[in-house]
Amino acid sequence: MIADGLPLLEATVLWSALLAPLPMGMLAWRFPPQRIATVLLIAMLLLPASLWLLHRVAVGGELQGAGSLGGLLLHWRMDALAGLLLLLTQLVLLASAAYAVCYQRVSALHQRAYARYWPLLGGLAAALGLIWVAADLLTLYAALELMGLCAVGMLLLLGEKSALMAGMRYLLYALVGSLAWLLGAALLLGASGRLDLAGLAANGAPEAVTGIAIALLAAGLLLKAAIFPLHGWLVPVHASAWAPVSALHGALVVKASFFILMQLWQRLVPEAVAAAWLLGGLGSLAVVWGGLQALRTNALKQVVAWSTVGQLGYLMLAFPLLTGTSAAVATLAWQATWLQLAGHALAKGAMFMAAGNLVLAAGKGGLSDLAGTSRRLPLSLMAFGLAAVSLMGLPPSAGFTAKWLLLTSAILAGQWPWVVVLGVGTLLTAAYVFRVFRFAFVEDEHRPEVRSLPAGVDLTALLLALAALGLGLGAEWPLALLREEGTP
Amino acid sequence: MPLSAELLPAGLLVILAATCLLDRQLPRACLIFIFFALLMALAWWQLDAPWLALAESLLGALLTGAALRLGLGRFASQRPLPARDLHVRPPPQTVVRYLAALVWLVLASIAVWGVAAGEALVTPGEVSRRSLLITGLAIMVLGLWGFAHHLHLLRRLLAFNVLGSGVFLLLAGLAGPVIEVQGLILVGLVVALAGSVLGALLLRRLFLLDGQVTLSDEG
Repeated sequence: MIADGLPLLEATVLWSALLAPLPMGMLAWRFPPQRIATVLLIAMLLLPASLWLLHRVAVGGELQGAGSLGGLLLHWRMDALAGLLLLLTQLVLLASAAYAVCYQRVSALHQRAYARYWPLLGGLAAALGLIWVAADLLTLYAALELMGLCAVGMLLLLGEKSALMAGMRYLLYALVGSLAWLLGAALLLGASGRLDLAGLAANGAPEAVTGIAIALLAAGLLLKAAIFPLHGWLVPVHASAWAPVSALHGALVVKASFFILMQLWQRLVPEAVAAAWLLGGLGSLAVVWGGLQALRTNALKQVVAWSTVGQLGYLMLAFPLLTGTSAAVATLAWQATWLQLAGHALAKGAMFMAAGNLVLAAGKGGLSDLAGTSRRLPLSLMAFGLAAVSLMGLPPSAGFTAKWLLLTSAILAGQWPWVVVLGVGTLLTAAYVFRVFRFAFVEDEHRPEVRSLPAGVDLTALLLALAALGLGLGAEWPLALLREEGTP
Repeated sequence: MPLSAELLPAGLLVILAATCLLDRQLPRACLIFIFFALLMALAWWQLDAPWLALAESLLGALLTGAALRLGLGRFASQRPLPARDLHVRPPPQTVVRYLAALVWLVLASIAVWGVAAGEALVTPGEVSRRSLLITGLAIMVLGLWGFAHHLHLLRRLLAFNVLGSGVFLLLAGLAGPVIEVQGLILVGLVVALAGSVLGALLLRRLFLLDGQVTLSDEG
């Protein structure tokens, strides 16, 4: 796309960083990487580009532009939030890639299926990047669908019945969600003749039509973000996928829909208090329900998946705290939300990888099969524990800082229900995490020998979990970027 | 343009959609869907959107039709799916699903009425927007019913495609055949095709694995 009215260099770097994963994925399809060094090489190309872009945005303010595609004007913009999310995406995707390279040596995945992982990963990377920078409903639609289809494709790598079932269920949900989105976009386009977010915000369609259009768009997005009560598809999908894929799904795919919903909300219905409280209420139910289910299930990966349902609920608390509240409350809630999103992405990625290691080594996925792993797989269990620290919100983790900010914001606004939700959620998280540990520390003499794993899989999970802790310690830098930019 | 020339293709579209979704004989339902998509292409042609007509007949009719028949195993030498769908959804599930479909429908109708009430609804093309809106809504009703009611995965894919076509017609009816609408519909067609291909492949593999043609906990 051609950018007008901004430094050409920035635009070129941005679009090459966004779209480079596509050809890379295609190349890796033909020659699947067998060594972790290949992934590190790609990391050295992509990460500096994003860091430089983030620096440019932090110094020079928001970048934006529009490109014409066959008479159709497409808009994009990049602010500090999009830059931070781009960096986060690349980190998690690269971690998943590095993990996949090591993991496939020991997991029973066919080489052809392994090769197919790479173009899908490339597609997912490009789609997520596009979602962070897109500023019109058409680009968002295309990117959202690309992401969904790549995500379904990744579920099919394993070819087991449970994974196929989960893939089919997710596909049907995603397709109907996409039609709800299309109908919402049609209403907005019909009412105001625009598709770009800025134009839609300025033009202001009739209130009732905007309300219904947002309701349809939100229904599609909430379905894809697996927000309670539309979370039915998430657990079978995340629990039955190949471990590197589960990590990606839990860390990034569900977050993209939340991000889009927040963008639309801020621009189109920033004053809808009742609807915001409804979303906050759904989030609270998700926190409680996800925690309770995680406490009840007997399979390790299902515990991790139910925990995602609960943790996504915290993100929804942003809506009532951002809608119709004072600037101080809104700023705190804004920072808390994105920190929670990033912290959860890192921690959940690490947790799914650690869970993948434990299940692979134990040979079975039940919690009771974990007996003896504390002695034989200390590193994987440690990664699991460190990730859990962030999920529970214990200091010094990103989860702690985020929940602290959220708590402060809720108290400042006088919205007491969310304070209770935060407390209950933390207790539930602690309960299901310690339940997993109780099984892992059982010493059973009659267990068959646990399989040994390559060092790479432990190391990647551990590094990602440490990143979640590090984000808590070094939260000042991203929070300052978000604060300077303010809430839109 | 005389009214009958407008009513005929619109009525035919609705009838084809209904027979496609009601037919328990799956290969025939797929064939009817192909005719339905070709008629949609004709509608785009009348709306002065020749590229969209081309895309619809290529992606919507030819390739989606092929994908659905692939899902039925019509091209494979061994073990095609049973041609007849005999599954009936148990009533408790039906209530919730009908309710969700009804909410969607009521919301969409109110909003369409809200947008369309204040406008003249005449486009430069030869088709009036009012008939597009009514046809779109009717086809959407059929698609929603099919998606909520059917258990067989291929029939749900068919219903999704019909529902999608209804939304496309509404889109054109609401905003006229402007370039933005054509872009949205084009992306929508590609997504529907990709979804149908993925769905058909999934169905085929599920069937070959253990003879399943529905989602397990619903059958």
